[in-house]
Amino acid sequence: MQHISRRTFLKSTGMALTALALPPTLRAAVAPRVVVVGGGFGGATVAKYLRLWGGNVQVTLVEPNAQHIACILSNLVVTGTLPMSRITLDYAALKTGYGVKVLQGRASALDPAGNRLTVTTAAGHRTLQYDHLVLAPGVDFAPPPAGKWNQNQTPHAWQAGAQTTLLKNQLAAMRNNDQFVMTVPKAPYRCPPGPYERACVVADYLKRTKRRGATVVVLDANPDIQAEPMAFNHAFNVTHAGVIVYVPHAEVQSLDSATHSIVTSAMSVSHAKVLNYIPTHRAAGIAAALGVNPSGFVPVHPLSYVVAGHANVHVIGDSCAVPASDGKAVPKSGHMANAEAKVCADAILRTLNGDALDTNIATSSACYSPITSKTASWLSANFVYGDIFDAKGAVKGKGMRRVDLGEAPASQINRDSYKDMFTWADSLFADSFI
Amino acid sequence: MLREKFALRHLILSAACGLLAAQPVCAAPPAGRLLAAQSGQCHGANGNGPGFENIAGESAGELYHELLEMKYRTRIENIMDRQARGYSDAQLLSIAKYLARQPGSGD
Repeated sequence: MQHISRRTFLKSTGMALTALALPPTLRAAVAPRVVVVGGGFGGATVAKYLRLWGGNVQVTLVEPNAQHIACILSNLVVTGTLPMSRITLDYAALKTGYGVKVLQGRASALDPAGNRLTVTTAAGHRTLQYDHLVLAPGVDFAPPPAGKWNQNQTPHAWQAGAQTTLLKNQLAAMRNNDQFVMTVPKAPYRCPPGPYERACVVADYLKRTKRRGATVVVLDANPDIQAEPMAFNHAFNVTHAGVIVYVPHAEVQSLDSATHSIVTSAMSVSHAKVLNYIPTHRAAGIAAALGVNPSGFVPVHPLSYVVAGHANVHVIGDSCAVPASDGKAVPKSGHMANAEAKVCADAILRTLNGDALDTNIATSSACYSPITSKTASWLSANFVYGDIFDAKGAVKGKGMRRVDLGEAPASQINRDSYKDMFTWADSLFADSFI
Repeated sequence: MLREKFALRHLILSAACGLLAAQPVCAAPPAGRLLAAQSGQCHGANGNGPGFENIAGESAGELYHELLEMKYRTRIENIMDRQARGYSDAQLLSIAKYLARQPGSGD
């Protein structure tokens, strides 16, 4: 990974601005090239919509894996309700239906001044020249403050795939009176309702499979439940009462993966049967190299997802930090990454055409959370571009202002919502990958 | 069909402009397209599925009326009642007009 110095930063700013002053077709006789790094919901969607909307734009998607395994619905793979194949998505439709070039490899070095990205593939290094670069690499995890962390012993299962299988197998091996201990990282993290949803479906599994006396201990680094508080408070205190133990203000101090032991500011557990340690998040690799804010994510412009100082480098999805009102952050989710990808694709095409950016921008996130193996809740959040506010209510700038947030009323935490969850997931999968 | 039209228009433009002029990369985005694209996560690209109700090709007036009804009803009946609250009336109209022009059955 190339470290980008302040000097390179400044140099690249000037050069990129000069280059972009001319429409790309004047700079070269070839079609404009967009390189997308990361084939999750953000990366797949931006690649698809650039081709759907973008005329002769060439799009290359760089992704290390041949398939993407969605985190969406993956808690139901942990409990054995769904097979892994149900959440496995590939790039065939992007290639054949939209003409996206897919390069299997890992983005290993970035030269923003030269508009070049180096990709390490099975066949060696390749350098890609781009007019615009979109980074959608997802999240990386920070090590615990102390102790020994081994994610094969204490799986996070917060990136779906092998980790999901590990946690599934550990859960299946639980017996009566065993403890399933899980951590909720400090916000912001991927999928705000996800950890609470996991606690619910694991509790439901333990009850269904008659593991008597088995419990789920939720060690939350945050002061309270981060999403769908009505649904999850009810689930923890009523639906799964006696099985789920919820512990707020539990900031991790040290971890020992080998013995499944953890020390937090609120409670310590040693030798748990399962320790599902979900670590603190930060922007992944190549995006993080562009510079991050105090919480570890890359600040971007809300209309274009451009990174400050790099007029043609965009970061979308879980890696980016979108300016928002205090306490009303844009959530990190597959649905939101898809939303941001469309805004980013539109902004890139307008920039290539020499048009002004659209300011009439809205993004949203919506999702369903299983509470049991038969019922689900839902969550909805909407954002529009405009003034954003600090904690005292004073305007602090422009960004994505949250204009609505809501969860399912109690009457809608039911079987219909559970069924709708699959319609929602399949639609989102298709809009992003097919 | 739409894509073919775009491609054709672009071809004519390219031929007419030659290499000396600043050619557009693609046709200017139609009004409402980006806002309407936020429907895609649950209704498919251009509202034409797969997903919940197919909303492409429904009349703009009908769609706008339904969106307003969802936005303003006091008792939340489903997730879309919340999603509709995330947009101004003008944005909902723009979305409805764009989706009405998309091929689909609007069932």
